[in-house]
Amino acid sequence: MSDLSTTRMPAFMRRLDPAVTTAFVCILVLLLVGSMYSRNFLSPEYLLQQLKVASFLGIIASGMMLVILLGQIDLSLPWVVTVGAMMSSAVAGYGELGSLLSVPFGILCGIAIGLINGVGVAYLRIPSMIITLATNAVAQGLMVVYTGGFSPRDNASAAMRYLATGEAIPHVPNAVICWLVVGAGTVFLLTRTTFGRSIYGIGNRERAAYLSGIDTRRVVMTVFAISGGLAAFGGVLLAGYASKAAQSMGDAYLLPAIAAVVLGGTSILGGRGSYLGTVAGVMLVTLLLSILSVMQMPEFGRQIIYGVVIIGMLLLYGRERIQR
Amino acid sequence: MTEAAPLFCMEGVSKRYGGVRAIEKADLDVTAGRIHAILGENGAGKSTLIKIMAGVVAPDEGRMALDGRAATFASPAAANQAGIVCIFQELSLIPDLSVADNIVISNPPTRFGMIDRGAQRRIAEEALARAGASDIHPLALVKDLPLSRRQMVEIAKALARNPRILILDEATSALTAADVSKVFIVLKRLRAEGLALLYISHRMHEIAELADECSVFRNGQKVATYAAGSKSDNEVVELMIGREYSHVFPPKPTRPKSETPPVLETRKLSWTERLRDISFSVRAGEIVGLGGLDGQGQRDLLLALFGVLRGCSGEILIDGKAVSIASPAAAKSKKIGMALIPEDRKTEGLMLPMTVRDNLSFAALDRVSHGGIVDREAERRLIDDMIKLLGIRTAGIDIAVGALSGGNQQKVVIAKWLMNQPRIILLNDPTRGIDVGTKQELYQLLRKLADAGAAIVFYSTDYDELIGCCDRVLVLYDGAVKRELVGPEITERALIASALNIDMAEVGRAAVTA
Repeated sequence: MSDLSTTRMPAFMRRLDPAVTTAFVCILVLLLVGSMYSRNFLSPEYLLQQLKVASFLGIIASGMMLVILLGQIDLSLPWVVTVGAMMSSAVAGYGELGSLLSVPFGILCGIAIGLINGVGVAYLRIPSMIITLATNAVAQGLMVVYTGGFSPRDNASAAMRYLATGEAIPHVPNAVICWLVVGAGTVFLLTRTTFGRSIYGIGNRERAAYLSGIDTRRVVMTVFAISGGLAAFGGVLLAGYASKAAQSMGDAYLLPAIAAVVLGGTSILGGRGSYLGTVAGVMLVTLLLSILSVMQMPEFGRQIIYGVVIIGMLLLYGRERIQR
Repeated sequence: MTEAAPLFCMEGVSKRYGGVRAIEKADLDVTAGRIHAILGENGAGKSTLIKIMAGVVAPDEGRMALDGRAATFASPAAANQAGIVCIFQELSLIPDLSVADNIVISNPPTRFGMIDRGAQRRIAEEALARAGASDIHPLALVKDLPLSRRQMVEIAKALARNPRILILDEATSALTAADVSKVFIVLKRLRAEGLALLYISHRMHEIAELADECSVFRNGQKVATYAAGSKSDNEVVELMIGREYSHVFPPKPTRPKSETPPVLETRKLSWTERLRDISFSVRAGEIVGLGGLDGQGQRDLLLALFGVLRGCSGEILIDGKAVSIASPAAAKSKKIGMALIPEDRKTEGLMLPMTVRDNLSFAALDRVSHGGIVDREAERRLIDDMIKLLGIRTAGIDIAVGALSGGNQQKVVIAKWLMNQPRIILLNDPTRGIDVGTKQELYQLLRKLADAGAAIVFYSTDYDELIGCCDRVLVLYDGAVKRELVGPEITERALIASALNIDMAEVGRAAVTA
């Protein structure tokens, strides 16, 4: 029953998940609507710029996706992004060595916070919504203490700026390459490794995964650590992009990250979703934001539209789930 | 027996779940002022009968009448309203609320829209007194009470609803002997007050002491109603046996005397109050059955062996060496090589939305991966082998396992574990809810695995399976091994008698377990 073509076929069909298709159709619609506002909207420069902006969100959303696949949530994201940005910039101030270590140090700080989340959820059985909210508050407090409440004076290191704004390949922003690398890693992790299988298994039915002899706690803890690391990496790039870290620079990423994952068809209850969907979701959210700002929609309007879109998508996918 | 008009009667009531008939054209008369005991083995339809009476499930057909008037209950609340109150086996109390809160929970007394705490306390005190448990303080939290006291609160809660028919489903199974006799005094007084009581218990001596009349159910039908005391235990067991079966079992080999230490052995394995000093051993090539009524610790025993339960005492020996199994991950490791086919394939065995491939290789990922990266070729080969070995009928390995039939899903659960080539296979009621054809395939498979050297522990609620498949059967009662039946001793009569913990001359030759 299984020569190569038949086993490939369903995998290909799964990629045509209705949610993913919907997301891509929405992207096209947005592009059309945008081009009616301004002819620049379809220009390569603009699209490349959008892709660059999307890559920050894409990297951050990758971690969020893994957590959501487990059926959990990581609400510590805003200040982990900020911690990543601030800590890497802080280290950048310490000469040559500091400049070299800025990127890994920022990521490590994020992993550390993620580990705390992971231990809390996996071993202490604290609901992820609570513990990640708490670590978010603690991270915020620590950063405020560190900066004294003012915006930090440190500047981003050259490495950070290069990663965020440089172009190793002409016309292709390095940030996009970073996202490509993170994305490829995530896809590999999810589809080819035992770890990825375990994530889907736990998200579907934690008890069955545990009874199958999976060390579910270790998997959960690791996923939170990855999520923290990726969020901090996103923060590092953002600081490089703006050449400075800023207070609460991560606040604008929590809802978009969740929105991107959910719009891409990943079940908010865990266990189901593809990375391609998340890519679509990230682009959709970025374009939506961009169009709203082109239309000069004030901040509150954007927030309302986000929220409504997320609720709408959840209703749509939730119904699909019940039908089964 | 049936003088005057019965308070409640049931005629030709049937209920099916999917293709399985739970009860079929059952009749029952309940008379005021009498205690009516219901007897029957696992799956005889007792629980369904009660659920229908209590409005928990609706019957597919048949009539019910209360006071001679036709009655249908849309919900438990409607049945309560009509005066039918049920005390279920599982406790229904909320631990963090007080006793009084629990007693009036469905219908608290109110004043100006707020709960009238004074009235609530009075009601609770009355109900507790009526239940013979006036020593329980109404404001105590339920979670602070020991199990036996909670059961008394449960009874008080039922009485606070002023029932005309009170159903007790295994309501004494959690009680100590002293509490049981207290409850009996209360029940007898309630009978004198004119209540009709329906009493379900597996404890024969309780029924003998309490019941006025008994009904025996078998295979979804009532087979007899008789006045209590008019039949011997022996005759009752006869009534409970006697289902027609068409299972085909593979022949059992004559067991060779093995000199090697048993693959799996336990010594005084205990866990809370659910497992008591369980010692047994299984040799390679042997199928050992776990028998007894439902919920006597068989499941807990399997979970304890598989490293799921925390805080077990006693020893587990593998190949004669003591080991500690702290988690399923440890249990499936190469050194121990254990597999557990869990009870509920939908929540414990499988991830239904995931593909057949993902499910099959899930427990054996170590075997099909190098350095954490899945070798998809090796995985496919192993999966194809398994699908062939078990004859799993599926449209492909990349479809959701939830789309397969129940029998094929169960095969996937078993295949998933066989991928690990386990030496010890624990099965928790693996044939529940699957068709006869698949059952037979499973019996053949089990014997084949045993012949290949696996040690198998097989819990089944179906006595026929135990008789047909097992070389030995351990009968559990109240968390302890009551009797070990070997070879030709494994008969339905012996199984039921020991499951009910009654002594019968015919099976007096009870092997005492080590």
